[in-house]
Amino acid sequence: MTAVLERPAPVRPAGPATRARRLARRVGGPWTYAALIAVLAGSAFPVYWSFVVSSQTPDAIDSVPPVLVPGGHLFANIARVFDTTDFALAMVNSIVVSGTVTISVVLFSTLAGFAFAKLKFRGRNVLLLLIIGTQAIPTELGIIPLYMMMAEFGWAGEIHAVIVPGLVTAFGVFFMRQYFERAIPDELLEAGRMDGCGSLRLFWHVALPAARPAAAVLGLFTFMQAWNDFFWPLVVLTPENPTVQTALSTLASGYTTDYTLVLTAATIGTVPVLAVFLLFGRQIVGGIMSGAVKG
Amino acid sequence: MRPKALVLGCAALATAVVLSGCGSDTASGGKTKLTIGLFGNFGYAELLEEYAAAHPDVEISDRTASYSDHHKNLAAHLATSSGAADIEAVDTGYVNQFKATPDKFVDLNTKGGGQLKDRWLPWKWEASLSKDGKQIGYGTDIGGLAICYRRDLLQNAGLPADRDQVAALWPTWQDFMAAGKKFQEKAPEGVKWFDGGPTVLNAIVGQAFVGYYDRSDQIVVGENKEIKAGWDLVVDGVQSGLSSKLLYSTPVWNTGFKQGQFATVTCPAWQMAKIKDQAGPEAAGKWDVTSVPGGGGNWGGSYLTVPKSGKNIDKAVELAAWLTAPEQQAKVFKSAGLLPSIPKLYEDPSIVDYKNPYFNDAPIGKLFTDAAKKLNPQYQGPKAGDIQTAIGNAMQRVEQGKQNGEDSWRQFVGDVQK
Amino acid sequence: MVLMDKTARRHRWDTKFAPYGYVAPYFLIFGVFGLFPLLYTIWVSLQDRNLLESEAATFVWFANYAKLMADPYFWNAMGNTLSLWLLTTVPQILFALFIAQLLNRKVRTRTLFRMGVILPNITSVAAVTIIFAQLFGRDFGLVNWVLELFGAGQIDWQAGTASSHVAIAVMVVWRWTGYHALIFLASMQAIPSTLYEAATLDGANGRQQFWRITVPLLRPQIIFTTIIATTGNMRLLAEPLLFNPGAAAATGGSDRQFQTAALYLYEQGFTKYDFGYSSSIAVVLAIATVVVAGLGYLATKRIRTE
Repeated sequence: MTAVLERPAPVRPAGPATRARRLARRVGGPWTYAALIAVLAGSAFPVYWSFVVSSQTPDAIDSVPPVLVPGGHLFANIARVFDTTDFALAMVNSIVVSGTVTISVVLFSTLAGFAFAKLKFRGRNVLLLLIIGTQAIPTELGIIPLYMMMAEFGWAGEIHAVIVPGLVTAFGVFFMRQYFERAIPDELLEAGRMDGCGSLRLFWHVALPAARPAAAVLGLFTFMQAWNDFFWPLVVLTPENPTVQTALSTLASGYTTDYTLVLTAATIGTVPVLAVFLLFGRQIVGGIMSGAVKG
Repeated sequence: MRPKALVLGCAALATAVVLSGCGSDTASGGKTKLTIGLFGNFGYAELLEEYAAAHPDVEISDRTASYSDHHKNLAAHLATSSGAADIEAVDTGYVNQFKATPDKFVDLNTKGGGQLKDRWLPWKWEASLSKDGKQIGYGTDIGGLAICYRRDLLQNAGLPADRDQVAALWPTWQDFMAAGKKFQEKAPEGVKWFDGGPTVLNAIVGQAFVGYYDRSDQIVVGENKEIKAGWDLVVDGVQSGLSSKLLYSTPVWNTGFKQGQFATVTCPAWQMAKIKDQAGPEAAGKWDVTSVPGGGGNWGGSYLTVPKSGKNIDKAVELAAWLTAPEQQAKVFKSAGLLPSIPKLYEDPSIVDYKNPYFNDAPIGKLFTDAAKKLNPQYQGPKAGDIQTAIGNAMQRVEQGKQNGEDSWRQFVGDVQK
Repeated sequence: MVLMDKTARRHRWDTKFAPYGYVAPYFLIFGVFGLFPLLYTIWVSLQDRNLLESEAATFVWFANYAKLMADPYFWNAMGNTLSLWLLTTVPQILFALFIAQLLNRKVRTRTLFRMGVILPNITSVAAVTIIFAQLFGRDFGLVNWVLELFGAGQIDWQAGTASSHVAIAVMVVWRWTGYHALIFLASMQAIPSTLYEAATLDGANGRQQFWRITVPLLRPQIIFTTIIATTGNMRLLAEPLLFNPGAAAATGGSDRQFQTAALYLYEQGFTKYDFGYSSSIAVVLAIATVVVAGLGYLATKRIRTE
């Protein structure tokens, strides 16, 4: 803990007490552990179970009582997945799509969120409400006009048709706006202004460092969502150029569905997200700490 | 058995199609890429390789999606006039809706379809013909009916297991239900006579001469005594505890095969491959096939259409014609069990004598060609697919104890006449 | 003088116009790829139009809306939507607060726990479908198997209105609670401990501190999650669709007992090809979502700092 304590403190909540303080969080007792383990078990069970099924023969999925320990067929099943579909291409496509979308969403959301939270301009509230309102639109029907546009641009079947509409999200802007509102005290920005900083410099030197933990959370969420999106990719992409999710749908498509194969592919498809999670997870944990702990 | 001679034969046939169909086919440099959009198992993998081998200038890739994803995406692609594959398969459940907008598809009559017309059963040809006489798709298979049953379960309940004797148990659907009640008395716990009411009902509806519509596209199911009688019969079967209450083509239904939850299931020809895959190798020889109560009937079957938005229409039409040609339909029957829509094949010894080893060497060739010959072609109206969904839901309401048979029927009739 | 003027002008330009530059990328991309489909949907909702036949569309003004208001299945779907909204949103936020509170304590292997709660969200929909179909299976499902161990009978989850809503809500809550918990956690960590120390001196116990300090200080995040969860839960489509696989998937049960409004618009649009009618459902659903999110906002705004 002490090493972390020395770090600079970009984030200061604008709560009632704004003086420097030390964090002494409650230490968890046995009940905390018991509850956390229960939560973890509940969250992880289906994921664990799909791993179990992917290491078994196809019979395991509907045995009674259910099979709960991994078997020895994992690699054979993985080989079958790569034989049946172009899963390597699907993984690469998904990484490109999710990576691009994540970087763009985090960047543009941070910019817009900062402006909505901390800069005053005419029409600010109206524009913000408009953004929140767009979150309420059911997107399912929008795929027809969206597809018309993509066809017009000649993008149908290409992965930019999946990337470009995802480059900004209402969620991201709203999320960063809520975060900035509290994370940066107005006095700090005023002080910066007095020193002659323009808004871009304030953004760069004050807002961006303060945004790290939230940006990491947003980045993670965006990556996960882009990775798991399937409704639109299924319409606009073709099985020759799939993402992981559309490849999964192809696998699950025969008259008969080999669930083992689908769950194996789903398990492989989880690995990159887990890797990203490890990457951002440290950022989130570290970021939250450095943000919260005041020296 | 197949090699050169056959390939050459096919190539010659295909050339014939081109010559008869379209004189305007221009030679293009490089390979033509054709895509074909399918759902489920059409048994085309080997055929497409064979075709590509015989046509070095063509490269084919197939896109297979699930039944609902396939038809949803096809609708989106047709709506925007782009993105559809060069050939798109369409199921019976959707063909009536698609033929209502024939301009989205190539009229195969203008591409030599007229000369090929006599290949197919007349009703199969008409089913994909639009009101103004445009042909939107070439027929692939038909869903001739049979009953698949578990030999061991019938035997244990004191019923015969031999397929002729089993067929003698149920000349009519009334007899089928009566046999079910006998079965149920001695059946082990958790095992029922049939898989679910909607499956049985679909077969009965498929046998009726008039189904949901009359020939002027009026919905007449509300006054259709034949279908109402079938409905009442199945409701009685459900209420006598003969049904496993599993809806066809769902994961729990698939599990039902593995767990042996039911003794019989209505078997359109395409169902056999499903059963084989779901029940798995350990159930080989336990399943058998016999004839269906009542007359011949149809449930399902598909068409290959050529959307107008395609870039290689002529080559696509050529491939669609080849895939639905007698030689290819015969092969698909043997590999995937899909019943040809070509009457000539019902006399072909290689089809008629075909036996399926998984189903205890059942003579499915004879069984299904007989069924196809007896088949009463039923007129399908524009929303037949929706009505089939609605009647399935109605039967499920009875199975789930939400409504009695009369109330559920009334709600169904009200729903479809809106 | 000249220099002053220049700086001042630059300053004025900066405060007046720069903010628009910051929000411009969002509106630019949204304007092209979000707004056009939206306006197009509104336009189509005023037409009698088959999905496959745009050429034959006729303009009918508000006929679709009039039909919608008299359509019992639409109201059934709206009722299911509101029921599922309540069953998902409230537990989601309460559980998320509770879990965030646990995660905020000093525990060993906290990274493991933090990562663990988000696992449901990284599971692909295809896998979730298969898993939950197995879990909620009538005859061989794990849930019924456990219920039977405790002597309770088997439940046909898809058949009943209440049971199907509960099962779908479980899927949604399972998938999204950890996600909201992380949002709360990030803000909880920024609450100064001096507040808790002072409260402890005043004799407030843990529960009182949670409701009087933690929850009020999390107000912006609670408002945020309420709105986000509402907009997500009001248009549930994948879960009810996948809960009832097979040819009748879009009807949401044999008696439409779990057909949500989003599923109803899907049924009208993609199985009946009634593009105009389906679009009018989309528009009404969007308006209803904004109203419900507004109510949620008003409710959560009342949380006050003591």
